Amino acid sequence: MSQPLLEIKNLSVNYGAIEALQDINLVVHEGEIVTLIGANGAGKSTTLKAISRLVNSAWGQILYDGREVTRLPPHQVVQLGIAHSPEGRRVLSQQTVLANLELGAYTRSDRLGIKADIEHQFLTFPRLAERRNQLAGTLSGGEQQMLAIARAVLSRPRLLLLDEPSLGLAPQIVQEIFSVIRHLRQSGTTILLVEQNANLALRTADRVYILEAGRLTLTSAAVELLRDERVRKAYLG
Amino acid sequence: MQASFLFNHGHHSIFTAILNGLSIGSVYAIFALGYTLVFSILGIINFAHGAIFTLGAYFSYTLTGGAFGFNGLLANASLPIHLPFLFALVLGSILAGIASVIVERLAFRPLRKRGADPLLTLVSSLGAAVVIVNVIQYLVGSEIYTFPSDIYGRLPASINFGTVERPIAIRTVQIVIFSVSALIVSILTYFINFTRFGKALQAVSEDAITASLLGINTEKFITFTFFLSGFLAGLAGTLVGSSVSIAGPYFGIAFGLKGLGVIVLGGLGNIPGAVLGGLVIGLAEAFVPADYSGYKEAIAFALLFMMLLVRPQGLLGRSVIQKV
Ligand SMILES: Nc1ncnc2c1ncn2[C@@H]1O[C@H](COP(=O)(O)OP(=O)(O)OP(=O)(O)O)[C@@H](O)[C@H]1O
Ligand SMILES: [Mg+2]
Repeated sequence: MSQPLLEIKNLSVNYGAIEALQDINLVVHEGEIVTLIGANGAGKSTTLKAISRLVNSAWGQILYDGREVTRLPPHQVVQLGIAHSPEGRRVLSQQTVLANLELGAYTRSDRLGIKADIEHQFLTFPRLAERRNQLAGTLSGGEQQMLAIARAVLSRPRLLLLDEPSLGLAPQIVQEIFSVIRHLRQSGTTILLVEQNANLALRTADRVYILEAGRLTLTSAAVELLRDERVRKAYLG
Repeated sequence: MQASFLFNHGHHSIFTAILNGLSIGSVYAIFALGYTLVFSILGIINFAHGAIFTLGAYFSYTLTGGAFGFNGLLANASLPIHLPFLFALVLGSILAGIASVIVERLAFRPLRKRGADPLLTLVSSLGAAVVIVNVIQYLVGSEIYTFPSDIYGRLPASINFGTVERPIAIRTVQIVIFSVSALIVSILTYFINFTRFGKALQAVSEDAITASLLGINTEKFITFTFFLSGFLAGLAGTLVGSSVSIAGPYFGIAFGLKGLGVIVLGGLGNIPGAVLGGLVIGLAEAFVPADYSGYKEAIAFALLFMMLLVRPQGLLGRSVIQKV
């Protein structure tokens, strides 16, 4: 197979004395949806933060499109084509929905393209369109999640990192968001998805990694895992 | 019939007091804007701001060709150039902006990189202020320097807004100060609220981590903010210095305290608040009768104190700037 879009080699991350990630090896190929599942505190968000350089790695390498990003500042990672919709959404609450989206396209300079893409996001998420001039801090949780995803997509990433897009949302909105995720992949975006909702994640993803207490314990095709009795017991309830 | 006459509001009309108040208040406003910009980005009060104000005044004075006194390393020295005042004002303020960036590099950034407590950074900015004041004293001594009286070229020293019998004379300096400040505040307001750069600056101020995830180079914005803040301090220093005089290396310290009062009054980190706070304190001072002018400062701070009892978040303030 060709060179992976993202390759993590022997990555370790520490927070002071806490070893959050130990010797992680992970690859994501262009066009895939890969999901990373695991219990609370397993290190899922830390993995995404290491990729977008919000945390320093103690050891190991992160290669994006064959290029080492392990020491870049976060804004350069975005410029290379990696967008991160972070845990807790982190919309800019003092700015309008529209301004949040415009800032999502901060790395781009094609004004017309940005305008068209924002309108496209408004078609995808009509709730956001109705609230375009509302301050993002006043949106509901589900709407903020939509905004976080739309904002990340506006940088036109090749690789999109999504941290728990279903957290705390009503089932119907979760369905909406996952159908958007599948659409994004169809339009060529590669996705690394962190989820608590393992059932949904496995039904959406091509491959899966399971993280336990900072170590990768299992990797497999998603369909196989859905059939695996033990995994069903442990992760799917 | 000189400055003292025109500064004396005792028997002047309310009109004069208002204009004088707006004039000094607008300088407070641009000075306080510098404080508030840094605060809204880093959540830290930059105690070197008053020292940069002083530095800006000395830079502009030097650029107009002003000579130094008998003390200090630069005794009797002066530049061979005599820039027109407006050029000196702009260039001196740019130099103050650069000095402010240097302060950021030396006193703020190393601590930020280590994730130090904001209180430590506050102390190191205070240290930077002391160093700047001492360097000024070492270089040019502590004399009072006065800008040449003809800095506005052919403009008259004052303009009469009244009639010949009942003159209401406003010093040209006051008008220049007010115009320059109003211009700066308008440009800044437009720039912060309506440009891509301004929105990115707001994003850094609200949540620097998220801003970096959007591809914004937060360090670049911090550097720019310090430049802008120093530029505003330099403008204010030059304007006040040219209106009265440069009262020595400690010139900016009292002014710095008042600037702090202004931003607290307006609401920490709040840009329109800084402007409003500046104008309110300026006007309040202008209405202090001449006989009590020695108590101006006390009155300004009493006002501040009363205000804080009623609205602890400041005139327009959100109680806390959103920080993560
Ligand atoms: N800033 C930090 N300082 C110290 N420890 C941290 C920090 N961030 C995370 N940790 C620790 O690192 C470990 C991994 O955290 P991480 O946020 O990556 O977990 P997670 O898998 O995303 O969990 P969740 O499902 O609850 O979001 C946890 O033990 C957590 O307590
Ligand atoms: Mg997490």
